[in-house]
Amino acid sequence: MATTVEHEHQVLRYRTKQRIVHALLATSFVVLLLTGLVLLWDPLGWLAAGGWSRLIHRIGAIGFLAVPAAYLILDRKGARELVYDSFRYDRDDIEWFKTMYRYFLGHAVEMPPQGRLNAGQKLHHAAVMLVSATVVVSGLAMWFFKPQLGASGLAAAAVIHDLSMLALTLFLIGHLYFTYVYKAISGMTTGWVEEADARLEHSKWMDELDAQAEAVTVGSGASSHDEVSQEDQSQEDQSQEG
Amino acid sequence: MAQAFVLDLGRCIGCEACALACKTGNELPTGVSYIELIEQVRGSFPDLEGGFDNHRCLHCQDAACVAVCPTGALYKEDGLTRLNTPACSGCEYCVTSCPYDVPRMVDGASTKCDGCKATTDAGGGPWCVSTCPSKALEYGERSEMLRTARTRAEALRAHYPNAQVYGETQAGGLGVILVLPDDPEVLGLPRDPDPPTVANVWQGVVQPVSIGLIGATAVAAGVAGVIARRNHMAELRDIEEAEQLVGDGDSSEEA
Repeated sequence: MATTVEHEHQVLRYRTKQRIVHALLATSFVVLLLTGLVLLWDPLGWLAAGGWSRLIHRIGAIGFLAVPAAYLILDRKGARELVYDSFRYDRDDIEWFKTMYRYFLGHAVEMPPQGRLNAGQKLHHAAVMLVSATVVVSGLAMWFFKPQLGASGLAAAAVIHDLSMLALTLFLIGHLYFTYVYKAISGMTTGWVEEADARLEHSKWMDELDAQAEAVTVGSGASSHDEVSQEDQSQEDQSQEG
Repeated sequence: MAQAFVLDLGRCIGCEACALACKTGNELPTGVSYIELIEQVRGSFPDLEGGFDNHRCLHCQDAACVAVCPTGALYKEDGLTRLNTPACSGCEYCVTSCPYDVPRMVDGASTKCDGCKATTDAGGGPWCVSTCPSKALEYGERSEMLRTARTRAEALRAHYPNAQVYGETQAGGLGVILVLPDDPEVLGLPRDPDPPTVANVWQGVVQPVSIGLIGATAVAAGVAGVIARRNHMAELRDIEEAEQLVGDGDSSEEA
């Protein structure tokens, strides 16, 4: 699926607005993690003195809270499809989970064919959304309702907050792991990924894009696959958050 | 050596000399006070009794405030609960967690009695103790203070049959041993404050486990990532070679 010369043999995986939302999520999460970690790990405790880390933590929290809103405002369709895709699993996804250890070890060949999101990404997104809800609720409780919580309520909220962040941090480590193993960073920096990689790891998605391009080609009367110059635009519509 | 106070509420006359001496000696800013005298009227008419709640930090051995303090600003020393104000992050966890409602936030930092650390380190006595005109306050080695408290409670029972020592076991044993003229509930004190169980789980289990798991996973992912990426690059090379073989197939056979 060749497009412009600049992105020859590449496909657009994430639109600019999706990458902005991702950057907001990534930045706010890292800020929250680091400013939270200073309260968790005693050797870093001195960094919390004076309350600066608390102020930064709350600024990060506002950024984190703004992520769903930003996605809905910037790219309503992408946000909707992210939620929709993340909670739907087909037979190939189930098969994928069964041989997931192979994918984990860097073997994408012979994995069951996957759509725009592979089964692991779907589960990752679904888990991130659910656990983010518990981290947000427990965090807001500690921010605004400390007196009402009382001693054990505060400690319970803190336990939920800590365990949620533990889960999210482990998800983040996994996220970075697969990004590195499958050299996928360009998807979030430029938005474009190698077509060969996409065909190997997301063959059903590429089939969909091919079918779409075919339809456009037939519709416009052009004959050659490579002449589809408006593909940039159609791909922009096709590729969604992953 | 664990130090402790005796606070004999049977002797307290509510004169506020302790609160004033504390404020002056510790150079506390306006509006800040480590000791608050609250007049109490107990019983029902016509059998009324008066007294004073000498509200202050009781220096719990199993201090909930120390357990939850994320920066170590609150810590135990010589059986007393000290406060290193510059280290305070202002999280207010101590305010919420104290079973006796003692710490207050002043200018974004926790504030409470630190057992006159500066004065006692210099060899003096706590300001409140040296000032008390009715000898309701004593300060010294804890086991000795406990003996003093028991003697005083015994003497007090002549007039107040329910007189008792409070703080021998509460919250792991208090650093301010109270001599009460009546049952703790009557004086607004919990008979046995709830131990900070959830807070201990949070600080003692959840936090170290979280740090350990995150660290171990990060290291494991780093090692596994190098291996897995090598595997993936190898399979990509295989695919590329297979494709080249197919592409070169015709020409090489002809040559």
